[in-house]
Amino acid sequence: MIQHARVICTSFLVAALGLSAAAIAQKPFADVGKQPPITILIGSTPWYPAFEKVVGIYEQQTGNKIKLDVVPFGGILEKARNAVRSGQSPYDLMTLDTQWTIEFYDGGFLSPLKEIDAAFELPKEVLSYGDSGYWNAQKRWRTADGGKLMAYTVLGNVQLLYYRGDVLKQAGIAPPKTWDDVLAACAKLNEPPKMYGFVARGEKGNGIRYDWQSVMLAERASVAKDPAAGDYTVTINSPQAKAALDLYIDLLKRCGPPNYGSLGQGDVIQLLATGKAAMGDVVTAAFASFEDPNKSAVVGKLDTVALPRGRSGANGAVIGNWNAGIPKNASDPQKKAALSFLRWFVTYDAQHAFAENGGIPNRSDVFTSDLAKQPRFRWMPAYLETQKFAQQELGYAEGAQVEQVLGLRLNQALIGEMSSAKALNTAAREIEDIFRKSGRKTGTLPPLPE
Amino acid sequence: MRENSSLTLVLNRTFRHWSLLPAVALFVALTIYPVANLFRMSVSTIEFAQAGEAWTFTPLRNLALLRADEVVPAAVRNTLIFVVAAVAIEMVLGLALAIIVAGAARGKGLIRTVMILPILVPPVAIGSIWKLLYNYDFGIFNQTLAALHLPPVNWLGSTSLALWSVVIVDVWHWVPFVFLILFAAVEALPVDVLEAARVDGATRWQLLRRVMLPLLRPAIVVALLFRTILAFKVFDEVFLLTSGGPGTSTELVTLHLYKVFFDQNQLGYGSLLSLALIAAIVAFLLVGRQAVRLARP
Repeated sequence: MIQHARVICTSFLVAALGLSAAAIAQKPFADVGKQPPITILIGSTPWYPAFEKVVGIYEQQTGNKIKLDVVPFGGILEKARNAVRSGQSPYDLMTLDTQWTIEFYDGGFLSPLKEIDAAFELPKEVLSYGDSGYWNAQKRWRTADGGKLMAYTVLGNVQLLYYRGDVLKQAGIAPPKTWDDVLAACAKLNEPPKMYGFVARGEKGNGIRYDWQSVMLAERASVAKDPAAGDYTVTINSPQAKAALDLYIDLLKRCGPPNYGSLGQGDVIQLLATGKAAMGDVVTAAFASFEDPNKSAVVGKLDTVALPRGRSGANGAVIGNWNAGIPKNASDPQKKAALSFLRWFVTYDAQHAFAENGGIPNRSDVFTSDLAKQPRFRWMPAYLETQKFAQQELGYAEGAQVEQVLGLRLNQALIGEMSSAKALNTAAREIEDIFRKSGRKTGTLPPLPE
Repeated sequence: MRENSSLTLVLNRTFRHWSLLPAVALFVALTIYPVANLFRMSVSTIEFAQAGEAWTFTPLRNLALLRADEVVPAAVRNTLIFVVAAVAIEMVLGLALAIIVAGAARGKGLIRTVMILPILVPPVAIGSIWKLLYNYDFGIFNQTLAALHLPPVNWLGSTSLALWSVVIVDVWHWVPFVFLILFAAVEALPVDVLEAARVDGATRWQLLRRVMLPLLRPAIVVALLFRTILAFKVFDEVFLLTSGGPGTSTELVTLHLYKVFFDQNQLGYGSLLSLALIAAIVAFLLVGRQAVRLARP
């Protein structure tokens, strides 16, 4: 009897899934016509399964074929470099971490999208993500002001403050609005090793650089004075930046596990997913995994708010997105086919399907759609709020080198190898040197007292 | 007749020379050319743009970068500590295991097979496995310590411990390699010589010190040579375990090379660093060889 019921249930489930797939396939997506097969370079990132499903819908609807070359994170950049430096690119579309895109824009390795089709326009609903898809070759800076559209964001990741709704409620704590609120909450909730009050990345390199910069922006500090205007005076050793670094060190030391200096993204996600952290600073893309019972012990218990304000009263968040661009050395028909997919992918329906399958849509209207009312998309309001103040950082040609400097010096300050003032003074000197060698107009602030 | 044979001789000699050509060509293509190209890169700044590669002759710029690079001293210091510590421990443990197993009455084949396993595991898997073992909150080491009511250890997050945690992984990975080389050598030791020493009243220590070690010297030198070269080039495990952190506590020259080449895309400076590493390995080996010579009785 039970087995019989199971068969019926399974049949219903299969039928329902089939119908929903058919319904998706019948939705009015953009008609892009018959196109030759294309190959896309993509990383095996947390959002890849969602992208793969949407590609499946594209193939089903259009009959056009897409081959996905899925590469671990560490190998994408080299594959992309080899592709664009060869005679003809094996890829027709490449998804690149926003930090890497600069090298490709600056080297002229990508075709501006309007050069492939002059009529191509991004819909007005598409979020700007700090103009990360634009490149002003003269300023060597990512900006729509005088810049060309080289790529667009297929996944816009920002950090959110995740918190255990149940734990905070039980302790009578409201969701934090400032970093001081986080400190105060963690003082009450921190109960190591059972529960850590707050976790964020402290590991050397991109991890600490990226997470700390949100606090840096919230303290109204910056790396360089005004890169958009060509003023690369290094300001990383300002009193505001020191305040941000001291606050970040305080947060990680007082609220996190003792291995805060080597805590990477995987560790932070693991601590939250296992219920060992009450709050954490994590990318939006991780939300889906917290709702997966196979990966998470806290399904339905984690809520999100925009990253808190600093003592300056400002909010800060860094955008870390993935952009899709078309290699210049792809053939013209392949470029057109790749652009056709991009045109299709940015439609409301495609983005809606992308979100339904666990991706982060890049259109504001999807965030106000029926999805926003569903509990599993409860991260959407915080994400949309964050878009109001989130910024692209290190959006200049020297970004990768600057990240190396910051990633090391911030980590050294965190683990106590040097004081925060010395770390920032050292970083300022090194970054100024990088800018000077590039021929930028640069300088630095007077050193902080060490 | 004589003319005929001298012609054959000349032809043979010519053929012998020309028959080497494919091997020489292969050697030039696979060894000389890449090294020569590395030299060329090390005195250049290489930039890629859509128009192609742009090479600029800038030897002084690359040298200036090397001098100004504040990570290099820490990387060199850590690399030397890592090489000396890891290789020394591996040699001692490998030799001890080889002698113990060779003396076992049964099960040598099984032990040898089991010992090979760590060598077969890809370094990437080793890094991932040990990262889990070392995990502060969920790793088996700290779970065991907790079960024994001992405080957890910050294996990879402590600046004073991280490099040694990496050394432990390398030892686990490579002791079997040393063991296999030395085990074969111990098995091949002349039994009559060992017996004669025992009959003459040599103690175990004297047997080891005065008889076995001198006879094992060639195998020990080979194992030492291979391990030293490989230890200088270690990358995968450290990259996965710590990425050089925290701070510069596990920053090795190879890791720094990777960052310069691939993260910073500085091919010229990266090549100069590569040459410096090659020179360091050669110097280290030359000094080692000289030390072995001097130590000979």
